[in-house]
Amino acid sequence: MQWLDAVIQGVLLGGMYAQYALGMALMFGVMRIVNIAHGDVMILLSLIAVSLAGVLPGGNLMLVIAIVPIAVLIGWALQKFVLNRVVGVDPLPSLIATFGLSIALQNLMLEVWSADTRSLPNSGIASASFQIGPIYVGLLPVIVLCTAIALTAGLDAVLRFTRFGRGLRAASADTDAAAMTGVNPRRIYATATAIAVGILGLAGIFAALRATVSPADGPAQLIYAFEAVIIGGMGSIWGAFLGAMVLGVAQAVGLRIDPGLGILFGHLVFLAVLATRPVGIMARKR
Amino acid sequence: MSEPILSTHGLVGGYGDFQALYGIDLHLNAGEVISLIGANGAGKSTFLKSIFGMLPVARDMVRYRGTPIGGTPTHELVKRGIAMVPEGRRLFLGMTVEENMRVAIDNAAIPESRGQWNRERLFDLFPILRDKRRQPVEALSGGQQQMVAISRALLCQPQVLLCDEISLGLAPKVIREIYAVLPDISAAGTAIVLVEQDVTLAQEATSRLYCLLEGRVTLTGNSRDLSREAIAAAYFGGSHAVA
Amino acid sequence: MTSHTYTVQRSTLSSRIALTLGAAVLVALVAMPWWATSGNIRWAIELSCYLAIAQMWNLLAGYAGLVSVGQQAFIGLTGYTLFVLAQNFGVNPFLAVPLALVAPALLAVPTYLLLRRLDGPYFSIGTWVVAEAVRLTTTNIDYVNAGAGLTLRVMTNYSQHEREVAFVILCALLLLTTIGGSYLILRSKVGLALTAMRDNPVAAASQGVNVGRMRFLIFVAAAVGTGFAGAIYYMAQLRITPAAGFDPFWASMSIFIIMVGGIGSIEGAIIGALIYFFADRLFGEYGSAYLIVLGLLTLVIALYARGGVWGLIQKLGDHPWFPVRRILIKVEK
Repeated sequence: MQWLDAVIQGVLLGGMYAQYALGMALMFGVMRIVNIAHGDVMILLSLIAVSLAGVLPGGNLMLVIAIVPIAVLIGWALQKFVLNRVVGVDPLPSLIATFGLSIALQNLMLEVWSADTRSLPNSGIASASFQIGPIYVGLLPVIVLCTAIALTAGLDAVLRFTRFGRGLRAASADTDAAAMTGVNPRRIYATATAIAVGILGLAGIFAALRATVSPADGPAQLIYAFEAVIIGGMGSIWGAFLGAMVLGVAQAVGLRIDPGLGILFGHLVFLAVLATRPVGIMARKR
Repeated sequence: MSEPILSTHGLVGGYGDFQALYGIDLHLNAGEVISLIGANGAGKSTFLKSIFGMLPVARDMVRYRGTPIGGTPTHELVKRGIAMVPEGRRLFLGMTVEENMRVAIDNAAIPESRGQWNRERLFDLFPILRDKRRQPVEALSGGQQQMVAISRALLCQPQVLLCDEISLGLAPKVIREIYAVLPDISAAGTAIVLVEQDVTLAQEATSRLYCLLEGRVTLTGNSRDLSREAIAAAYFGGSHAVA
Repeated sequence: MTSHTYTVQRSTLSSRIALTLGAAVLVALVAMPWWATSGNIRWAIELSCYLAIAQMWNLLAGYAGLVSVGQQAFIGLTGYTLFVLAQNFGVNPFLAVPLALVAPALLAVPTYLLLRRLDGPYFSIGTWVVAEAVRLTTTNIDYVNAGAGLTLRVMTNYSQHEREVAFVILCALLLLTTIGGSYLILRSKVGLALTAMRDNPVAAASQGVNVGRMRFLIFVAAAVGTGFAGAIYYMAQLRITPAAGFDPFWASMSIFIIMVGGIGSIEGAIIGALIYFFADRLFGEYGSAYLIVLGLLTLVIALYARGGVWGLIQKLGDHPWFPVRRILIKVEK
């Protein structure tokens, strides 16, 4: 029963990681860019949410309405001023640029918000829980997981069935050929980044509701998102979701074995997947 | 004679420091089919890329319907009515035949319902694609993939179609099938620039012909009036003996 | 009719000056215990370690196309191996340094074999995961005192002077192997292949360069070089903890130094290390504000001046300190 509980908690934790991973899967799918500042941007949005919560009336729903547009705007700016200049075959410039951005952001947040851990005041949701048989399940983690499922399904549908989705997949398969077919790659890139960071806005609010955030937390979130994407298989949206589940369960089970082993277990499962099935568990055939 | 739909004027260009084209003058009239022949490395592909916004050129080196368009981004040229069947087909892998077509339809300036070309018409032209419309493009044979590439370009509803080596790597029977649709395309009012290495094929399919050698036009004229000897000399350079 | 032959020129006036200066610096470094203060020696040790770590990263990112952000794995691991050998097994700490270099090599081999499957940017984060995994593993091993870290008490067996002499010799060896070694590698046939690889891996492969094998060797060599620096650094600190030894800041530092100095050249590494070292001394007290500037500087360089300071200097005139090119000269007869 203890292990069943660990698996359930792991799946719920995976819901949080899936929200981090979706944006990364989307951006890498199109631009072959890994944004090293991915986690820091999420923490930034969390901290903005924490600060806004003090002044905004209307509770968490209002917060979502305020944060997501800010996130989209940040995504757009990131694309316009940084990523558009470094998109290309050589991955080094984008890596270095976003790496520098990551360091700058972390320390900027430290200046503004100090190193304290912060969280959003929970209006009952964060503490509410219900019981299935002998296992207690928090309401908030369930909401996080359901949101993650909805986001994954939504994003997957957007990629499959919309004009934007087709353009994105086309640009991802062959940027030049997409341009020859009338797709404006830059606009596609900008939209993809805006969506990816928009999702991070939502993730940022949930992260601050679920636990605490502090300016130095970004890199860990980046690594979790990255592990989820690789475990699941690059280029697959549901793969990123599944990878997040695997990672969450691995961490929860590790934590049950020894409190010091949780995150390490996640890393080990990631390395094991890399060793045995480097294309990921849900990789699309190419 | 009315103004050509597409023309180049002393077009020079290349990749970075490497110059590959030395002043190309070429014109294409509305509805006309011309070919551009030349050996490997003569600059044919570079020329198409320069026209099509994929390599830097000066604005007034390329004119389209009377307007200078040199250096305009590729995707904007598509919206204005130029499309390309690229060398090597360059289909969107991982997407189905119909999805490949939809990308073009999504981004064309003229909606499918009002354009010259729609999926039904293309499926009539290439019946095999109707059966394979839901299959991923990588499951198709080379010839079928070429049909998808042509369909995709036509669904951009072009006035000018640039075809880069569409016979390359295909069996003779398949090449005949592909070439058989060119008259249909030009009958629909689309002018075609055909880049070919196969001189006989180019001569048969087009009304006029340009021969490129080391980045310069060495011969031009009505395809059927040019002798094999003249073409061979222009194709290989003067020092080569004529077979 | 004049006939002419060609000779290949491999050194320049500037390079002969630089080599002489380099040799002088090394001699001065080794002589430090007899002319410098202990504080200055500490500075020299730190600067040598920074320079070595940065140059190893330069070799990885600037030539082999392996942008690692996990080199701290090798720093911490070698440091820990040294501490365990010296403290727990009683090996002479200075002799333990070369012995400890086996550890980074042993970690680098499986790391590379696992991560080579990852595409450029993913390779980077993969190295980071490995470093984190090693850090967390160390944190969970009671034998090395878990998260609390180790202290090198055996160093008290040696007088201050003895320690300083040993440290400057180790630093000189470190610079000789990392900087001198890089220079020799880059001037050799391997260097030609590496340069070809940096400029275009696909073309290099088609010219017969075994890109995979080359990358593997560079990865292992860089791991050992980085570990060497880590061992000296933490031996001088007398203490190592998982949080410090495996600090991702080591990666940040390498990136700052190489990007600011100029990627793909030894000159860039030296310039960058000097800039970083003195900037750190001058502005380090401003803490996060200083790091914001460093981060933004890295961003700006990646966007607008990929060659860094050395790239800008080279625009003014071609005076390489460490020429790795072959210049063909026509000799009239």
